[in-house]
This record gives sequence, structure tokens and C-alpha cells, in this order.
Amino acid sequence: MKGRILIIEDEILIASQLRDVLEDLDYTVVGMAANVSAARRLVLAGGIELALVDIHLSDGPTGLDLGREIGQGAGITVLYLTANPEMVRDGVPGTFGVMSKPTDDDSVRTAVAFAMQSRRGGPSRTAPRSLTVFG
Amino acid sequence: MLRSYDILDTDPERAFDDVTRLAARICETPVALVSLALGDRLWFKARIGMADETGPELDSFCQHAMEHDGVYVVRDASIDPVYIDHPLVTGPANYRFYAGAPLIDDQGMTLGMLCVVDTKARPDGLTETQHMTLEVLATQVMALMERRRALTARRLSDEQAEAAVEVALQASEKLAESEARFQAIADSMPQMVWSARPDGYHDYFNARWFDFTGLTEAPSDTDAWSAQIHPDCRERALAAWQASLANGEPYEVEYRLKHHADGYRWTLGRAMPIRNSAGTVTRWFGTGTDIEDIKRLEQVKALLSQELSHRIKNIFAVISALLSLSARHHPDAKDFARSARNRIGALAQAHEFVRPHSEESRPGIAGTTLAAFLLDLFKAYDGEDGVPRVRITGDDTIFDDQAATPIALLFHELATNAAKYGALSRPDGRVDLTLSHRGDRMILVWAEHGGPELEGPPLIPGFGSTLLAMSVEGQLAGRLDLDWAGEGLKVTVDVPQSALQPRRTAMAVA
Repeated sequence: MKGRILIIEDEILIASQLRDVLEDLDYTVVGMAANVSAARRLVLAGGIELALVDIHLSDGPTGLDLGREIGQGAGITVLYLTANPEMVRDGVPGTFGVMSKPTDDDSVRTAVAFAMQSRRGGPSRTAPRSLTVFG
Repeated sequence: MLRSYDILDTDPERAFDDVTRLAARICETPVALVSLALGDRLWFKARIGMADETGPELDSFCQHAMEHDGVYVVRDASIDPVYIDHPLVTGPANYRFYAGAPLIDDQGMTLGMLCVVDTKARPDGLTETQHMTLEVLATQVMALMERRRALTARRLSDEQAEAAVEVALQASEKLAESEARFQAIADSMPQMVWSARPDGYHDYFNARWFDFTGLTEAPSDTDAWSAQIHPDCRERALAAWQASLANGEPYEVEYRLKHHADGYRWTLGRAMPIRNSAGTVTRWFGTGTDIEDIKRLEQVKALLSQELSHRIKNIFAVISALLSLSARHHPDAKDFARSARNRIGALAQAHEFVRPHSEESRPGIAGTTLAAFLLDLFKAYDGEDGVPRVRITGDDTIFDDQAATPIALLFHELATNAAKYGALSRPDGRVDLTLSHRGDRMILVWAEHGGPELEGPPLIPGFGSTLLAMSVEGQLAGRLDLDWAGEGLKVTVDVPQSALQPRRTAMAVA
């Protein structure tokens, strides 16, 4: 088991595709949340290492603050995955980085692996091109 | 000087006529005249007993008379050698007797004569009383002329003074009228109107300004005036105003102005200087236009287009995900799905590059130029060290959203092809992309180096080559040339400059 991941994304097709890719890579997808309250419930259940967070959710552009909240409060490594990466280009405290949507499977694979490795204190490498790591 | 009396060619006057009539009565002659001489011309201010048409012929009598001092008398012209052949003597007028007293001004100059004429000769001439009377009456005529001159002078100066007063009155009426007209126009304008002195002191506000601010008195100074501006805008607005006052340039600034009921409203403030003939600013005229509604509409519009744009981008992601999910149960479709998703990715990138952005979402690049866009597109192929493997050189150019899609598809195909079969499939391979203007054409040359040996005509497999041709020859109305003579694939794309900015070109034509 490589890691426990929460997908916060209101587009079910995108969320499902991400889940498939991650499960193919032997990650455990603990859940998919389309809004803030669903996400909080899943976070409260615990055991999450990494969250892929879209900024625009079904209850509005709430992903940004949600990412900060669960990154700082619950110690989860937060990776924004958004069609609007410039909204967080200056970085968000307590979160890890951002990827632009749409993206390809390979970029998801390398970005998630890099974030997991950083979380676990592995040897530092150059971040993959598809990922912008907050300073 | 006769001229100074300004009497020639004036109408008969009773005072002169009375004196002349008295001269005729006392001297017992049928004719008496006041004759005035200017150069060769003789003119009668008064004539008693002589028809109008007679006159100039008398000149010889008066000319002679004026050459003598004192009273001049011709007792019988018919026997006087000077006048014996004179038409007035030999003709129907039949003059015989002439006596005249000179009209002498205060300078001692003889201006003319007071004379009496008879058709009967007078061998005894004038009696002593007649002689004296003629002299006294001549003095009287001069006195009349002096009085007349004085009166004329005073009337003239009175007239001048009156005229000057009239002019001044008219000017001030005109000024008041133009001021009133200006105020009427200013008050009827939907904008706020104000004026200010060259030192920046606001000396006028129209009714709209008072309506808007709800103030009843004009602000006394700049501090009071600027207090109506929102604190966030005040410094900026004042700086712009001070700058215009200093350099005389028109002033234009947007600020939020306190409305009497509606909080602060966005206002466009503008002002133009009025200059005198020396070019010095004498006054500033300014307007304030309530642009709150326009601002709100703009914001709504911007939000809407950003929202729309964001949704479009999200749809690219949804389609991409849908393709992936669909292909999941068809392993034979996996490659197809991957390449289709990558092409969708390139389209999304093109859209991201040219879509309307808010301040927050604007990419950190300067302008929508071809090189900037391509740099962004090729970032996915950068080396592990972050060094670009597609090197872009040459003339950059502006390009717009309509050209972004074919350009993105074109270079996406070339780059993925190079990554699979060409220069980018080798760690040391690289691509030189040269952009150059040639007249109204743009030439883009893609040259691969350090890739695998080419053994024949390069073949971009399947739909990729169709997509290249469609993008260049179809949408960009250009020419596509594939060449393998060198060490790697060389693609020359020749497109009209206008095809890179169709929107701008269309606007220029319109």
C-alpha cells in the first residue's frame, strides 16, 4: 500500500478517472468529496496522507480555503489540481503545490509520487515539470 | 484753422442767419452772406437774399476782400477796374456794391467774410454806423463759431464718454449673459461640472455637483473638496490633480465620490485647462461623470467571461477524463485515448493562454506573443534540469485567440512526434524553432537535431499528419513543407502574418 489519498473534486468524471489512475498505481483512494462538508467528514475519519483538491467545488470556489484548512489543521499534504492554477500561484500556507487541469496520467503519477516522497522525507529530487511546488 | 471749427457743409443755423439778416438790414442791401474759404473753395454758412445756386462766382470779391485788413468796400463794380468784366457784374446778377468785414480767429487768421451785396452802386460807400455794425457783427459771427466749436467738442467728448460707457455696459451684459448661459448649460448637463483657478482652488460647481454630494455650500478649499473622495482614492486623485496643475496637461482620473444617499460611487473626473493668448493657464474646467453603473456592468461582464472561460477549461478536463474512463475497458483503445487526451491538453493550453483573465488568473507572462505561447507549450518537453529542449529564436509576433488553436495543435503534433520518433526521443536531441518575418508572411522553421538517423522521407503517422495539414493549410491559409535532407526532420511553415491575428486584421479592415 503506497498511500491514502482523498480526492476533492466536484466533477464526478474527473474524480473517477483520478481514482482509477491512482488505484492502478496501488494507492488507496479513501473517498471522493464534491464539497467542503463532504470533505470535512472524510478528513475527520482520519488516516489521510494526501489530498488532491480542486479549487472550484459544487459549493463555490471553496477549495482554496479548504486546502489550507486541512493542510494546516489535519497535517494532510495538499496538492491543488485546478483549471485555474494562477489563483494559487503565490502559494497557500500549509499546502504543497499545484497542478494544472487537464493533465495526463503520467503527470499525476509523477506529481503524487513526488509529494508522497517529500512527505515521508525521502531524498530530495527535482519536482516533475507538471507540478509547481510552493516555496 | 477753419478745419478746427468743423463747420463746412453743416446745415444753416438760426444764430448765423439772424446776424446775417441784421447786417443786410443795417447796411440796407438785398444780399448778405457769411462766406468761409478753405483753400480755393468758398462756402456760405449763411445767405440772405441770394439763391442757393449762386455762390462760387463771388470768390473773386471775397478773395480780394480777405487780402485786405479791415472792412473792404467796392462802391461801384461797373467802374472798378478789378471787377469791371466780372460775370456777376456784367451778367444777370448785376452786382455793383460789395462791403465785407473779415472773420478773424484768435490766431489772427482770416477764415472768411461777413459781407453785404447790392445791385445798386453806392458812391458814398457805408455810413459810419453801417461800417461799425459790419465789424461788430463779424466779431459776433466769430463768437458764434467759437461757441459752436466748444459745444461740438463737449458733445463729442460727451458722446465718447457715453459710447465708452455703452461699450462697457454691453461687455458686462455680454459677460453676464455668457456666464448665465454657461451656468444654464452646466446645470443642464448630466455630469458634474466645476471650474478651478490656476492654483487649483475650485471656484465653481454646477447644480449636479450639489445634487450628487448633497452639500449646500461649495467647499472652501482643496481639503474640503477632496474630503468627498473615498480615502482609498484620495491620494491618487490629488496627485493626478497636482500633476496637471503643475504641467498643464489635461487631468483624468477615476475615483469614488461620496454620494449624498448612495455611499461612494465611481466617478470619472476630467479637466481641461483654458489658456490665454500667452499660453498661460487661466482656468480649469472639469467634469465628473458617475460611472458606477458602468463599473458594475464591467465587473459583472468580467466575472461572467471568467466564469465561462473557467467552465470551458473544466470541460476540457471532463472530456479528457471521459475519454480515459471510456478507454479503460478497451485495452486496444488505450494508445488512441492517450494521444487524443494529449491533443485535448494542447487545446486546453491554447485556451488558457488566450482566454479572458482576471487579475488573479492572468498568467505571469508579458503579452500574448507567439514565442511566449510556444515556450509555455513546450515546457512539458523541458529537460530534467529545466533547460528548454525546443529553442525558440528570431522575430516574435503578436497572435490572438483564433490563431492559438491551430498553432497549438501544429506544434503539439510536431513535439509529440519528436518525442516518439525524432530528436526529443534522444536525451541529447534538441529542436531549433526559428521565427522570421518575410514581408507580410511569417516563416516558422522547426529543425530537429541529434535525433535518430532518418532513412527516408519522414513520416508522421496517422492522423497527426492530417492534423498538421489541416492546421497550417486549412485554418492558417499557409504552406507546409516537410524535409529530411539534414540531420533531422525540418518543417517549414509559411503563413500570412494576418492569419496569426485574424481578429486584429478584421478590426483593421472594418
